Amino acid sequence: MTHRKFFRMKFAALAVLLALPFAPGYAKTLNLAYDADPVSLDIHEQLSGGTLQLSHMVCDPLLRWNQELGFDARLASRWERRSPTSVRFYLRRGVKFHSGRVMTAKDVAFTFARLKKSDDFKGIFAKFREARVINDHTIDLITDGPYPLVEHSAAFIFPLDSAFYAGKDARGRDKGEIVKHGDSFASTNISCTGPFTVRSREQGVKVVFERFDGHWDADSPGNVRRIVMTPIKEDPTRVAALLSGDVDFAAPIPPADLARVDRSRKVDLITMTGTRIITFQLNQKRRPEFADPRVRRAIVHAINNAGIVKKIMKDFGTAAAQQSPKGYAGHDPSLRPRFDLKKARALMKEAGYADGFSVTMMAPNNRYVNDAKIAEAVAGMLAKIKIKVDLTTMPKAQYWPKFDERAADIMMIGWHSDTEDSANFTEFLAMTPDKETGYGQYNSGNYSNAEVDSLVLASASETNPETRAEMLRRVERILHEDAAFVPLHWQDHAWGARKGVHIGRVVSVTNSPYLGDLVMD
Amino acid sequence: MNAAPHLHSNVLRSLLRDRTAAVSAAVLCALLLAALGAPLFAPFDPWDQTQFDIMDAEIPPLGGGADARFVLGTDGMGRDMLSAMLYGAGISIVIGVFATLLQAAIGVVVGLAAGYFGGRLDSFLMRIADIQLSFTTLMVAIVILAVFQASVGLRFYEEYALVAIVLVIGIAEWPQYARTVRACALAEKKKEYVDAARVIGLPPFTILRRHILPNTFSPLLVISTVQVANAIITEASLAFLGLGMPVTKPSLGSLIRNGFEFIFSGAWWITAFPALLLVALILSINLLGDWLRDLLNPRLYRR
Repeated sequence: MTHRKFFRMKFAALAVLLALPFAPGYAKTLNLAYDADPVSLDIHEQLSGGTLQLSHMVCDPLLRWNQELGFDARLASRWERRSPTSVRFYLRRGVKFHSGRVMTAKDVAFTFARLKKSDDFKGIFAKFREARVINDHTIDLITDGPYPLVEHSAAFIFPLDSAFYAGKDARGRDKGEIVKHGDSFASTNISCTGPFTVRSREQGVKVVFERFDGHWDADSPGNVRRIVMTPIKEDPTRVAALLSGDVDFAAPIPPADLARVDRSRKVDLITMTGTRIITFQLNQKRRPEFADPRVRRAIVHAINNAGIVKKIMKDFGTAAAQQSPKGYAGHDPSLRPRFDLKKARALMKEAGYADGFSVTMMAPNNRYVNDAKIAEAVAGMLAKIKIKVDLTTMPKAQYWPKFDERAADIMMIGWHSDTEDSANFTEFLAMTPDKETGYGQYNSGNYSNAEVDSLVLASASETNPETRAEMLRRVERILHEDAAFVPLHWQDHAWGARKGVHIGRVVSVTNSPYLGDLVMD
Repeated sequence: MNAAPHLHSNVLRSLLRDRTAAVSAAVLCALLLAALGAPLFAPFDPWDQTQFDIMDAEIPPLGGGADARFVLGTDGMGRDMLSAMLYGAGISIVIGVFATLLQAAIGVVVGLAAGYFGGRLDSFLMRIADIQLSFTTLMVAIVILAVFQASVGLRFYEEYALVAIVLVIGIAEWPQYARTVRACALAEKKKEYVDAARVIGLPPFTILRRHILPNTFSPLLVISTVQVANAIITEASLAFLGLGMPVTKPSLGSLIRNGFEFIFSGAWWITAFPALLLVALILSINLLGDWLRDLLNPRLYRR
């Protein structure tokens, strides 16, 4: 290319760029920055936030979570429970894959079978026996026993194009194969039904998505034609890119920068009550004092968790008195935070520990938002009821092995339920630890209550939502009364977007914005 | 014996005549008094967790129009900044003074021995000093404290952090003293009065202690002022890197570090006030040190 020609081209490109914004029907492009781009285009390779974000862009689930923690119909236009062990899904008609094929129940069955094969996803579908195709637009999901969380699981079924993944590719690989961290046909090719197709992808550099014109959801208000996703790993760099206008949308926003993003006049900060509960567990095996419910209650009464939310979390959280956030089946609105120093002291006295005692405490310092500061504040609050706390904070890489050893009397843990369901919290955090079944795997407090155990186990096969919700609420009340653990707060989610990018309407607690419905001014 | 009063009046007159020195001395005295008398003056005890409340966190200083109890505002945990700074300054000064005393103790012994006996002992000790000097203090301190912290665990570390920091800074900086004292000893040992002492059969230890050591005092005094300031700064740097005093018993450096993350969120006072106090402390010590050097240097003796 000669010099002059090069210049002419450059000039032409510049002219086009300048003209673009004024061209009629200007195609809206969304520049977005996440901390990482998806590791693979195979949506069944890794169960992670990145994969789910990709799934919601390129694919559509049978149904998806809405902002009220209910379900919106997507590829399934409606569904009904036919028996305790089966739920029938009626599929939307005329849904097209990116390949042009029309989706049928066979594709859903193929996807279901593939999920059962995926190391990461099969846990979610462990209780499912099969997906039985009734006709082209009807499919039954059959569970082994009565199972209440069929919808919760169906939110993870993003039907893939079964014909696209059939047979072998040019290199003789089975197209449908799932290879973890490896090279497979599915990890670089995808055909789904979602609002966007992958136009180009450079791993770790950028991914360009283009709107799929054949998308079934013609009613979607979304007007984004193109998405350029750039991974920016460093928090300050990502925030700087957002504030300077280099990107229209960035997530996650680190807590240290929340205030700065909030103050900016060019950028909107969108927060949403999260569903991750932060707690402290009081180890009854290490400390006989903690086996006394009065001491545990005294500790809960001594901790001003609303103060922690206000002062340390700067209101980017909600003070908790139970595990289940609002919207969950087991959430009991009558349970309120119980900070009351006088009562705490009285309880300590009643238990015979008016002079207090010394305990050890451990917390991570880079896992949860402000984790080390929260631990420090809690240690200070316990000093007021004469419990002297020796606090150690450490990076999460060192913390989890320590947690598994149950290395301190009081340990911090946060928990988010994959299925957005209450029972999941108790199964892992409050049921009697049992190596064989895996229940109580993260119950470092060794709290054990036969009634809680049996209620949670029974809830796993209770298919009447009202009865089940009452069982789970009862669990929360028992845990509250027993002060089984110290509830602190639910952490908020935070996203940042340029003004005019109405991201607030498409985010949800699952942390995967539904970008297909995004409206940009 | 009769030289003492004469020297005193001389020093005082010189101090009063030099306005910078006089102001520095006044500032330093005030700071020392406030810091060491912190338990008497401070409105709160910042080491007692029962005395602060999370609900008082990040209250701006007076004039920001907040709370009369907290003249200089509060930090992120609701600690009174004024009290924390007074106690913190006390810790910083204690670290500075004791680390310097340790440096002096090691340095003077090594320096005197090297200078007086000379020969192989001298080469050996001075090469060690050279090696020690080739590692910067901060690097040595970071390595030792990090290893110490990792091996004994944070809990033990928090209890003995003060001792550990004094030891590390003291050990890392002794060559400064050793070299100065050695140079003095080399110069002094050739003088007639030392020969005379030797001739009358005094043992080397007595000669070093009674005759040579007192003659090294004036340079020692000057180094000491610089070294106290240096030790305080080193501790502040270590604290900033997370290896200084723990947050439960913060020094000035830990307070500055503590407040650093609040700067962007607008709570400037948590880091600014301790930083100002640190600057005032270091500056007054250094200015006094300058004045002392001028006073004790015969070549600059102006009157």
